[in-house]
Amino acid sequence: MADTTGRAASATNEIEIKRLSKVFWQGDAAFRALDEVTIGIRSGEFFTLLGPSGCGKTTLLRLIAGFEQPSAGEVIINGRQVAGLGPNARPVNTVFQNYALFPHMTVADNIGFGLRMLGKSAAVVRETTGRMLELVRMEAMAARKPSEISGGQQQRVALARALAPQPRVLLLDEPLSALDLKLRKEMQSELKRLQTETGITFVFVTHDQHEALTMSDRIAVMSGGRILQSGSPADIYNHPAERFVADFIGDTNFLDVEIVAVNGRAADVRLPGGGTRRASLPEGLSPSAGTNVTIVIRPEHASITDEAADFEGTVEDAVFFGTDTHVHLRLPGESRFTLRRQNTGAGAVALPEGSRVGVRVAEGGIQVLRN
Amino acid sequence: MARARRNFSITALPGFASIAVLTFVLLYVPIATLVVFSFNEAASMSRWQGFSLQWYQAAFDNSQVREVSIRALWLAVTASAIATFAATLAALATTRTPKFPGQTMIYALVNQPLMVPEVVTGTALLIFFAGIKMQTGYTGMGYLVAAHSAFCIPFAYLPIRARLQTMDLTLERAAADLYANHFQTFRYVTLPLLLPGVLAGFMLGFVISLDTVVITEFVKSAGQDTLATYMLGQIRRTVTPEMNAIATLFLLLSAVVVVLFFILSRKRP
Repeated sequence: MADTTGRAASATNEIEIKRLSKVFWQGDAAFRALDEVTIGIRSGEFFTLLGPSGCGKTTLLRLIAGFEQPSAGEVIINGRQVAGLGPNARPVNTVFQNYALFPHMTVADNIGFGLRMLGKSAAVVRETTGRMLELVRMEAMAARKPSEISGGQQQRVALARALAPQPRVLLLDEPLSALDLKLRKEMQSELKRLQTETGITFVFVTHDQHEALTMSDRIAVMSGGRILQSGSPADIYNHPAERFVADFIGDTNFLDVEIVAVNGRAADVRLPGGGTRRASLPEGLSPSAGTNVTIVIRPEHASITDEAADFEGTVEDAVFFGTDTHVHLRLPGESRFTLRRQNTGAGAVALPEGSRVGVRVAEGGIQVLRN
Repeated sequence: MARARRNFSITALPGFASIAVLTFVLLYVPIATLVVFSFNEAASMSRWQGFSLQWYQAAFDNSQVREVSIRALWLAVTASAIATFAATLAALATTRTPKFPGQTMIYALVNQPLMVPEVVTGTALLIFFAGIKMQTGYTGMGYLVAAHSAFCIPFAYLPIRARLQTMDLTLERAAADLYANHFQTFRYVTLPLLLPGVLAGFMLGFVISLDTVVITEFVKSAGQDTLATYMLGQIRRTVTPEMNAIATLFLLLSAVVVVLFFILSRKRP
């Protein structure tokens, strides 16, 4: 893990980001858009930077692309320091949020642009452009101008244009945000297919948690210019380490509890009903017994039970969502709790307002937060 | 009250229509008269005696008219070409670089001819060039070219800058991302998209140069009359419909250029 093995690490990591910072100045006021970010992006993976607007994800992407130069820190692509290199000297291509297709060129000329700039022969440009058109299923539109094709088609052309020079890394800056829901779903699987077929490392920026969860091999959740947590979608979802991560991704119950005992990477915590349960600890946190921590329980990890309840609650209301029902409970001490029941059969028990029910949390469904 | 304000329209003001009509009459009746009498058979400016193209014939046969027309066109093309080139560079520098100290100052300097009265510019140029003439002995067209170029720069600069400001910066970023260097980005992306603005700037400069009397009058040496100063000189002596004919052709040329300018500057990618 030591930084001195940088050379060996970059053999598996396509991109190494080391203590990267970017400060923007507005008059005398400094805005720290990126704050000492360190992350490795593996070769051939679909890596997503997820966070709300202003969290620094686009800044990080631009620093990788070379549109901005860092205030401090390093960007290493394919084992090579790229500090000071312009975007035209980096083996990465970008799919822009607004596609940025050249309006005065045909679809085919747009796709061939990168190859022409690299000085490839006309035959290579023609052959690769044809292959790219086929890859994104746009053969019929080759001679059209960008203004003569639909938004979804423009998106495909932008992808083909960025893939044509066969970059080591493809950077995607919220490429699906301008599409309607149906088209977005289509393009999600299309993107995944392209990534698998080409084997190129994808770095995808989005604020949409569903997009991130369904498409990524790994996700880095960002806020305030820092990466709060990175890991597989399941890891991030099931084991959020910080309140922001738990809150930003999925629906969550937060409960303040007391640590009873610590046992390696797990801890026993006292639930509102008085009973103790085993909870996972986030990396780098070893609280001592008796301290108060916040835990998260996902709504679908809790169920209503008649026996062996962890705690009890009073039903405030139950909202029917078709496939499942969201049950809102009030717990002792005025905290609230939501659980999700799958509507598996027509015989689901009605839950009248004010009734008292027992709640059982599934094994491994409790996660302690760092803050 | 608020509702009335929202629906406020200047066309609803009393007298709007009559003022509008009066304005158009004042603007176009003199021009129409000029055009009509250029086809008059008689030499009179007030009595119509029948249709004739004789004054156009006279203008074409007048070697002096031919000479000053060619000089005016040559000067307009040369000066507006130089002005457009300089204006393009100025527009790129003021829109495509990070804000630098003195940028507002440069903007003011580029637009100086728009703000300073022409007589002042003319006098300044006269004195300045007189000094150079004494030192070098050169009395060629260079002075007029330099004066017209400088005067045309702001007119060329404005449409070019407007075009650059509305152009999406990510297009240039995308070009750089696709391995184009600075020159290639300009050559293959910025310039083709900027071309309508450049042409509009050129045409505006062309019309302004063709038209300007004051500066030319101050700067020209003997035998360097342009069409505009020649006409002024002629009208001072006698007024014949030959001038009407020349002015009508002049008007036609300006109209064509202005229409082209509007078509080009309205076109969006």
